[in-house]
Amino acid sequence: MTTIVQPVVRSLLVGAVCVGLASPCAAADTHAGTPAPDPFAGKAAYAQHCARCHGVTGAGDGRDAARLYPKPRNFTEGVYKFRATPSGTPPTDEDLFHTLTAGLPGSGMPDWAHLDESVRWQLVAYVKSLSPTFQDTPPQPIALGEDPGPKRADFAKGKQVYEQLGCAACHGPQGRANGSSAKTLVDNWGRPIRPANLTEGWNYRGGSDPKAIVTRVLAGMDGTPMPSYAEAASPDDVWQMAYYVQSLQRRPHWSMIVHALPLTGALPDTVEDPRWEPAEAADVRMRNVVQPSGELTGAQSITTVTLQAVYNAEAVGFRVSWTDPSEERTEPADALALAFHPVTVRGDVVTLQTWPMRDSPALDVVGWSAQRQQAVEAVAKNYESVWQAGPSSVTRSLQARYQDGQWDVVVTRPLHPADVEGAAQLSAGQFVPLAFALWDGGNPEQRAVSSWIDVVLQHPPVKAAAPDPSLMAVWVLAALVLIVGLVLVFRRS
Amino acid sequence: MMSDEKWMRTKLIPLVGVVVAIGCGGKPQDASATTKANASAERPVQLAQAAPEAAPAGGASGSASLHGSIKFSGTAPEAERIKMDADPQCLLQHKEAVHKPEVVINANGTLRYVFVYVKQGLEGKTFAAPTQPAVLDQQGCMYHPHVLGLQVNQPLEIVNNDATLHNVNCKPLNSKPFNIAQPVKGMKSTKTFAAPEVMVKCACNVHPWMATYVGVVAHPFFGVSGEDGGFTIAGLPAGHYTLEAWHEKYGTQTKTVTVADGERAQVDFEFKAP
Repeated sequence: MTTIVQPVVRSLLVGAVCVGLASPCAAADTHAGTPAPDPFAGKAAYAQHCARCHGVTGAGDGRDAARLYPKPRNFTEGVYKFRATPSGTPPTDEDLFHTLTAGLPGSGMPDWAHLDESVRWQLVAYVKSLSPTFQDTPPQPIALGEDPGPKRADFAKGKQVYEQLGCAACHGPQGRANGSSAKTLVDNWGRPIRPANLTEGWNYRGGSDPKAIVTRVLAGMDGTPMPSYAEAASPDDVWQMAYYVQSLQRRPHWSMIVHALPLTGALPDTVEDPRWEPAEAADVRMRNVVQPSGELTGAQSITTVTLQAVYNAEAVGFRVSWTDPSEERTEPADALALAFHPVTVRGDVVTLQTWPMRDSPALDVVGWSAQRQQAVEAVAKNYESVWQAGPSSVTRSLQARYQDGQWDVVVTRPLHPADVEGAAQLSAGQFVPLAFALWDGGNPEQRAVSSWIDVVLQHPPVKAAAPDPSLMAVWVLAALVLIVGLVLVFRRS
Repeated sequence: MMSDEKWMRTKLIPLVGVVVAIGCGGKPQDASATTKANASAERPVQLAQAAPEAAPAGGASGSASLHGSIKFSGTAPEAERIKMDADPQCLLQHKEAVHKPEVVINANGTLRYVFVYVKQGLEGKTFAAPTQPAVLDQQGCMYHPHVLGLQVNQPLEIVNNDATLHNVNCKPLNSKPFNIAQPVKGMKSTKTFAAPEVMVKCACNVHPWMATYVGVVAHPFFGVSGEDGGFTIAGLPAGHYTLEAWHEKYGTQTKTVTVADGERAQVDFEFKAP
């Protein structure tokens, strides 16, 4: 009987709310300047732009879904992460419009800002029509409180709130997604999920500004472990925490060309060596490898690698840094591979996304693993052969440090390795193709790889101590002009 | 949800009411020895009571009662030991090993944590939601109780008695789901479920071993097998009923029973380990 009574009670209530507060109910249905929903236009746009991932019926089972992780949303269930509404209720039209317009950074969902605004609103209306949730519960945005503004942001208070609310349990004390529960999290469908790495503002799915952070914290992210704090914290406190969280975000320097700084004398052999300071630090995106089954099956725990390079007359040195939620020194251990083109290879032959595969060519790989002291180098057809390679006669790694959810590893390599047959020969002025593979022992099913980037050994190594930074640009320019010139000359001839 | 509940309370309770007391055969307690001594763990969890002044309406309540025992045969799987190392606040609260309360065999060989309720036979009758909340306690990073029953729209008071963050992620299919944070010791939240559902699973993502099952039914005729493996469903109107027994691992079983006013009927269930 209650089952029959209940919908009546609910509709009475909804009716009462709508009569009492005419504007919010109206706002939930239509928008000033937005087109009236046209199911045919919405369906056509959906079929054209959305169905390949989200599926023809919206069940999240499009033909590309297997190769995506996080998995595309199943719209028929009506469960949405990015809402400004209470936990368990549907998002507002504006929430959906924002997701569509801004995309979800760090996921397969691109931004659709290039579509006409009217088309985006039609898509919002169409997506809503795929789940009864939107008819059952009119969305009501939660109170977000007042933005104190950056000038009144109190980082000490924000940090205190961060600790008090238990954020570190998942996001880690420094926000590096290395909380004690991070590894075991699953979403409501039982799939592995990772907390946001708060230092990587570029990967916050719902936006990294304080208002977006406050919204995520107060509303929660349905379907994920992220709960709603609407009943647990005051909006004022959450705003302060949001400004603190924003302060944890570091500025990335995305680059596909990394300039190795020439040094005289020995290369730095520790992570802390001040001689790393003037070297360009380039951030490179990592992507998980698609499984042989053609699927992406698990969450990404390593998203970005940061590289610095220096060299002298004998060797090149790399400081490689990445955030990894857990330190794993036993099998499966955290590990790093730096892949070079062997001396016999010309051009981009294979990406690490597809290496190794049967009959794939050999690569020159410097491998470092947290379970051994030294890195090894081998020209090999797969990673196993690299790990099985005997210790090199020349030192390849000097220091590895794990601290606060981050690995910093110093690896050196001779410019002209005599101990590894077929190894890449590096010389000043040359573009050296380099790609990364990273293993997180705490997420052993996955391997994160980068695309090929270029390391440029700035030409020539200067004799003076440290080069004048202002001269660096000149050198870079000169090297580029030289290379472009050489390329042109070669092409002509 | 709260408004629904308030409406029910103010408008429906004076009209429709029922005095029911459901006693569990024994108080369901956690497998952990250390929490047994705790007062909140001793709280009778299946007490679904309407307001004392509420009068029976339309023959909705009666004087029949059902009693039974949940027998168990076969070999129970070894209970998985819970590793709480990830959170020192959890670890500190247990002196002895804690095991998953999935298959818990009582000293008398009966099966604990079986939810028994009237599945069929009450059609057409209405039962007001009790205002007395059922309590779900988080202590020692375990839920107390592990299985509980709740009437539709009856308040469920969720309490965090741990000095650590718990999130309470309840995933009903028929009612509004929620996932709320309880970061501070002593925090209480009250939630309701608007539609029947056996069972609603609630879990904590921070502590992945934590799970509790809430049987949401439209009437007060349910019970959970406790330490003696027994259950009691009292105050039932005379009639012919289908009872269902649910267990987390061993699924469901049904039995039918006919009771007259004032009659006390025995309905036993037996679960077998495969």
